[in-house]
Order: sequence, then C-alpha cells, then structure tokens
Amino acid sequence: MKKRVLAACLAVVMGMSLSACGGSAGTAPVQTDAPAAEQQADTAAETKEEPSETKEEPAETKTDEQDAQTESSGEKILHAAASFAYPSLDVHKEYYGWYTSIYGISEALFKMDENMNAAPCLAKSAEADGKTWTITLNDGIAFSGGNPLTAEMVVKNLKRLAEVNERFAYLGEFDMSASDEKTLIITTPEIYPTLRNDLASPECGIVDLDATTDFDQAPVCTGPFVISKFQPEGDVEVVKNPAYWGGDVKLDGAVFYYMQEDDPKLLAMQSGEIDCYNSVSSAALEVYKADPDQYNVVSIPGARLQFYILNEKTLDDAVREAVNLTVDKDKIASYLSGTVSAAVGPFNTGAAYGKVTVPAVDTEKAKTVLEADGYTLGSDGIYEKDGKKLSVNIAYYAARSLDTLALLIQEQLKAVGIDSTLTVEEDPDSTYIATGDFDLALYCMIADKAGDPLYFIDSTLKEGAYYDCGGFSDDHCEELIEQLRYETDSAKRAALANEIVQIAIDDNAFGYVGLFNSTTVLRKGVSGFAENIPFDFYGIDATTDIQ
Amino acid sequence: MNQALSAGREGRSDNSGRILRWVKKPIGLILILIVLSFLVFALLYLAPGDPAEKRLTSQGVAVTKEVLDAERERLGLFRPFLVRYGEWLLGVFRGDLGVSFKDDLPVTPKLMTGLLKTVILASASLLLSLTVSFPLAVLAAWKKDRIPDHAVRLLSFFGNSLPNFLISVLLMYLLCIRIRVFPVIATGSLQGLFMPVVSLAIPMTGRFIRQMRAEFLAQLSEDYVGGMRMRGVKERFLILNVIRNSLGHILTIIALQIGTLMGGSVVIENIFRWPGIGKLVMDSVTARDYPVIMGFVLIMGTIYVVVNQLADAGFHALDPRGQA
Repeated sequence: MKKRVLAACLAVVMGMSLSACGGSAGTAPVQTDAPAAEQQADTAAETKEEPSETKEEPAETKTDEQDAQTESSGEKILHAAASFAYPSLDVHKEYYGWYTSIYGISEALFKMDENMNAAPCLAKSAEADGKTWTITLNDGIAFSGGNPLTAEMVVKNLKRLAEVNERFAYLGEFDMSASDEKTLIITTPEIYPTLRNDLASPECGIVDLDATTDFDQAPVCTGPFVISKFQPEGDVEVVKNPAYWGGDVKLDGAVFYYMQEDDPKLLAMQSGEIDCYNSVSSAALEVYKADPDQYNVVSIPGARLQFYILNEKTLDDAVREAVNLTVDKDKIASYLSGTVSAAVGPFNTGAAYGKVTVPAVDTEKAKTVLEADGYTLGSDGIYEKDGKKLSVNIAYYAARSLDTLALLIQEQLKAVGIDSTLTVEEDPDSTYIATGDFDLALYCMIADKAGDPLYFIDSTLKEGAYYDCGGFSDDHCEELIEQLRYETDSAKRAALANEIVQIAIDDNAFGYVGLFNSTTVLRKGVSGFAENIPFDFYGIDATTDIQ
Repeated sequence: MNQALSAGREGRSDNSGRILRWVKKPIGLILILIVLSFLVFALLYLAPGDPAEKRLTSQGVAVTKEVLDAERERLGLFRPFLVRYGEWLLGVFRGDLGVSFKDDLPVTPKLMTGLLKTVILASASLLLSLTVSFPLAVLAAWKKDRIPDHAVRLLSFFGNSLPNFLISVLLMYLLCIRIRVFPVIATGSLQGLFMPVVSLAIPMTGRFIRQMRAEFLAQLSEDYVGGMRMRGVKERFLILNVIRNSLGHILTIIALQIGTLMGGSVVIENIFRWPGIGKLVMDSVTARDYPVIMGFVLIMGTIYVVVNQLADAGFHALDPRGQA
C-alpha cells in the first residue's frame, strides 16, 4: 500500500514536470502563422529574386547538437541572448517596440545611424516649413503580408501610438493627414524641430493595422524578419521576410533567448549555443578579450549617462568646484573595466552637440579653492570651516554601477580632505530626486534618445525640470533652451546645446562621469548585430550575417 | 445505562467540537489573509516609488511630470488608500485579482503559470533532497562519531555552506562546458529541470541531513531505545521504531521548507531561465506592480497556512499523544 502511495506521488511529480516542460497555457509559445505570412509575401514579391543563400558551415565552436540542427536544415540561424523580454509584441505600447526593432520585425520612418543621425528608412525625406512637416515615404515598401505601405497607414499608426502610449500622447495634438499615397503632412501647434528624430523612435514602428489580427503576438510589419514563435516574457524566434522591401535578407532566421544573468550568457557563448549578445559585463569582457580568435568584441560609447547632480542649495560654489576638480572620470572608467567611457559632457563627443570642455582633474587646485573659501585642513585630514567638518552626503541607488561609483567618488574626495557619507535608496526618483535631500546625487539615464540634445537638456537643465533638483538656475540658459526648442537648423541647435551645457559645467551644477559603452560580443564570422550603433533598440537587420 | 448515555453525549460533544474546529480553520485563514493583505497593501503604499513611474522609465528614459501624472491617473493611483484597498478586496471576493500595473495583463493567469512552474521545481528538488538526506541522516545518526558520520557531516557542511547561485554556475560549467552532457539553454525539457533541481537540492540536503540527524540522535537517546536494546530487539526493528517516532518532527521540518521553496528562488530561476513565481514577484516588486504582489501574498499566505495545518494534522496522526 505504502509503495503504491509512493509510486503515485512519484507519478504525480513526473507528470507535472512533463506537463510543465511542454509549456502551460499562460506562457505557451505562440506559433504564428508564419508560413501563411511568407506565402503572402511570396505572392506579393513574385518578381523578387529568390534568395540564393549557400549552405554555410557552422562556427567551429558550435555544439554537436547545433551543428546537426544547422546542417540538417541548411539555414543560417542566428542565436542571440536578450536581457529583457516582454509579454507583448505590440509595437506601439510601452517599450515593446524596442524589442520588435531588435528582433528585426518592425521599422520606423527613420533609423538612427552610427553618427547619431536619423537616417532614412521607411521615409526618404522629412522637410519642415515652419510648423508643417512634409514626409515622403520610400518607394516599393510593403508589409510582410504583402500590402503596400501608404501614407494613410502611417497616419493611422501615429494616431494609434498617441492613444496607446502615454509617452507619445503629444502626437495626438498634431494634425496629421496623407496628401497622397506616399506623402504625409504633419502640422504641429508650434515649431517642432525634432519631429524627424522622434519618428526614429522604435515605438513609431509601422504596423499593418488592417492585416494584423493579433497585435500582441503577431504584428504584421515591414521589417526583414517576421515572428515565427513568441513566448510572452520568454524566447522569441523569427524567420526572414522573403518579400522584404529592402532587398535580400542574409539570415534565414534568428532565435533570441531571454537570459538576464551574465554568467549563463558567458557560458552559452563558450558552449557555442549563442552567437552574440550585447551589454556584456566587465568580467565576461575579460574572457572574450583574452580569446580574440573566437570572439569579436565591439565597444562604443553609448547613450546612457552616469552623472551626478551637485546641490547648489547645500554646497557653496567652492565646494562644488573642488568636487568637480577632484572626481577623476578616467580612473573611474578604468576601474569599471571597459564598461564605461569617461564622459566630457552628457553627450558623445563625436556628436556635433557634444563639444564642451571641462577643467582637468587637479586635486591641488581643489585644495586651493577650498582654502581660499576659508576652509582649513583639520588634524584628521578633513577640511573644516567655522568648526564644522566638510562632509558631503552622496545619495545613490545600487544599479548601473552607481554603487561602485559612489564608493570611488567617496575615496577620491577623501584624498583631498572632503569627507562624505553614503545614502543608498532603492528608488531615486521618489526619494532624493523628488525631495532634493542630498549634496551629491548620482543618477543614470539615457541622455540621447534620438540624436538630439533637447530631451536631456529639457529634463535636467531647464528650471523646474524633474532632474534639475540641485537648484541650477540661469536666466541666459533658460533663454537658450527656449531658442533650442524652436531652432530648426542642426548646426545652430548643436551650437546652442553646447553653450547651454557649458553654462551648467562652468556653474559646477553637474558632473558628467561616464557614458555606458554599448558593448557587443560576436562569435567570429557574425556581423551586423547593430554593434556600431550606440542605441539599445537595434539588433538584427537585413545585413546581419554569419560567415 | 446512564454511563452509556453519558458516553454518547461525550461522543456527540467530541464530534461537534471537531466540526467546530474544522469550521474555524477556514474562517481563521480568511481573517489571516485579510490582515496580511491590509498590512502588505499599506507597506506598498508607504514604499517610495509608484508603478506609473517604474513603467514609464523602465528603460532609463526620463518623462515629464505631466506624462507621469496622466499615467498615475489612468492607473488610479491618486485615489485614497482605503478606496484602493477596498476595491481590490471586493475584486478578490468576486474572484478577480485584477490587472497587472506593469503590462495590463490579468494577474491570476500570470500567478498560476509561475506557481505551477515553482511547484514543479520545488517538488522535484524536495523529492531529490529527501531521497538523499533521509538515508544519510539515519546512517550518520546510527554510526555517530564514526567514519560514516564524519563523512556525512562533512558533506552536509559543504552542501549547507555553498550558496545555490555558486552551485548553479559550477554545475553549468562542469556539465555544459567541461563534460558537455547538458546544454546551457535547456528550458522546456527534462534536461532543463535537472540543473535547477540539483542546485536547489544540494543546500537543502545539507540542511535536512543536519536537522534529521539531530532528531534521530534525540530519539536514540530516549529510554525506550535502551530498553529495546536490553530486551535484545534486532537493530533493524529498533531503527524502524526510531524513524517512526522521528517522523512527526521531520514532517514539521519539511513543512517549513516547503513554505520557503514555494516562495520561489529568484537566483535559480534567473540563472536557469525558469519562469517561476519567485522571479515574477521580484520583478513585480521592482516595478511596484501592486496587484501581482497582492495576489502573491494571498497565494503564499494560503499555502503557508494550509501546509502548516496539514503538517500539524500529520504530526498528530503520527503521534496521537499530543492530541489532547
């Protein structure tokens, strides 16, 4: 009897294991009707040349299992790791469009290039005349289902985006219409110089709203790939769109494994189970760099900025200047082992609006500045004034290496005689950023989201902005920001941005410490995984290849 | 006759007392869950940060206060605390745990999917752990201070000291890179279950061995064991008696472990890409996804209480002496 009970228990556990391994209803991979979509696309692209891919040899380090898989199907399938996974593929909602863009499913009217410019993609041009923008679509663009892309469909998409995504609700205030099949006219309430950049956001990806029946799991878009298997908050598989308007797609498909942890990604790369991934950790970077025959590591300064805000209400000018003269960004970048590049200003120095200057690190000058302000060095090596020790409250949160940054800054400040205390918060936005209860606040955010400086300047330097919580205020700066808001000439915008940021730097209101590197590792022979583009929302495209 | 009537009355009284106790238990559970949910709801309300802010800035993009407030309005975050709690509680009584603040998906299927995955992982690792630890604990207790005992204690010490994230990575390195018997990416198969189960089972086995060994040793020092030995009872019968008498306490140890296991192991789930409830809830806490957190609290509260009640009942069934 007892044996029977035990056997029954074992059977239940095994049964549950097997049923779960088969996937449950809630997270079952969704097999989309990819063959049907392909068939449609084939019909639409009858005149297109058939892809003439030759069978590629798998990379040497692939496991036997993978070798067999690749060889038996004779297809070029890229295996990549993704650090995030979402429950939906609805291009317009939340940040899901970032991932449909990474998977090569959706495309926007413009696409950010290596030089941070909004280059043509679905649209070939965007001309502004005062408050009116005329956008012309490229010729021959069709959705993967075969329907041609029209200006009317673009308008519908932008209206839907405004409805379903709070961050893009402002698009609802624009008057949008299609003047013909390929031209749309957008009239903004005020002069809006950054529309072209905004339209390069992956959330502005264009979906065939008429043909799509399931926005969450099978959107019909224009990208070089179409979804073939989607597991909400899990792995994603795509296959090539044979009717891609942009020409031949080199890969036959790709698999994105949702892997959050760094160690499994490294091990999967070593075992040959994945071919590439980005956001490589510093520990893994060392491993890859030590084996250049196997791996190709590409690291470029990205758009995500580590910076600190100096509180002008609690720190006098001399202390803020001393802090900025002391914090050694190069040493910090070196300590962070290649994951960060030392910043000068908030933007990449390669951009026209990233041309600012900061004083060189000079700890002797920092001491002189403090002493000139009446501080005297105490017997414990800490400056004091009026009997009060000079101590700075450093507020930070433990993400994006800011915890390490806090410790390094504390150490560097102590070396010149500035004491500090560390205050860690789990949520900076509702604590020290909201209350201003800090002397030095560390923060990390995307400084350049679409190749234009206004977003960051507006968020941090404009008086009353949420991240202008250190009390920085300058009338001339305000005037310049208003000019920047309406300036349409790119060169003049860059000059204005540089002047605005320089004012903040000269006022010692901020310290721009590092720009996170966009670091991608690729197995030898793999290319085109957006490794040279400093934005997080690009991945595979038609040029991605495995040699 | 009077004695028989009296006995009959006592019997009926015992029965009604038992029924009353069984009626009280679910009422007690509901009260516990209401108090628990209120406390957690209050803590979430007091915690800094809100789901609108987390949702809009999840990729590090700053948004304006107007955009943030519009999202807060949409999620109903400006309404008073008691109104929000009351609405949530009413929804629960109607069988609706609400919609996730993170992605607008219904909470119940999300939690159930994660829970099922966690139940599988927890059951398999518990089974493996008990299969290994039980005989080893008996052996160690039986051979106290001799070589088998030292060897088992050493193993237990190592198992107990190794954090499971380290075990996970070491296992992956050994089995996937060195020996190459498993792939690193193996979710969706029995292979995928093996490494997370072993990673969870190793430290748990270490703990179980120590706890069970201590329980067996306590039983072995009881007078009845000495008496049995003096009467010349065979060792295997003696062992069976010791095991039988230790089962009540061992059941309690296992019940406590089940509670911990059902909470999920975020680290293991992340490393092995196992979409269990631990990872789901950790992500929900980070996103301040109140409906999911509250749903988790209800489920876990129920599991804890039910498992403890069952362990209690099991303990009394195995050792009726304590059932006064």
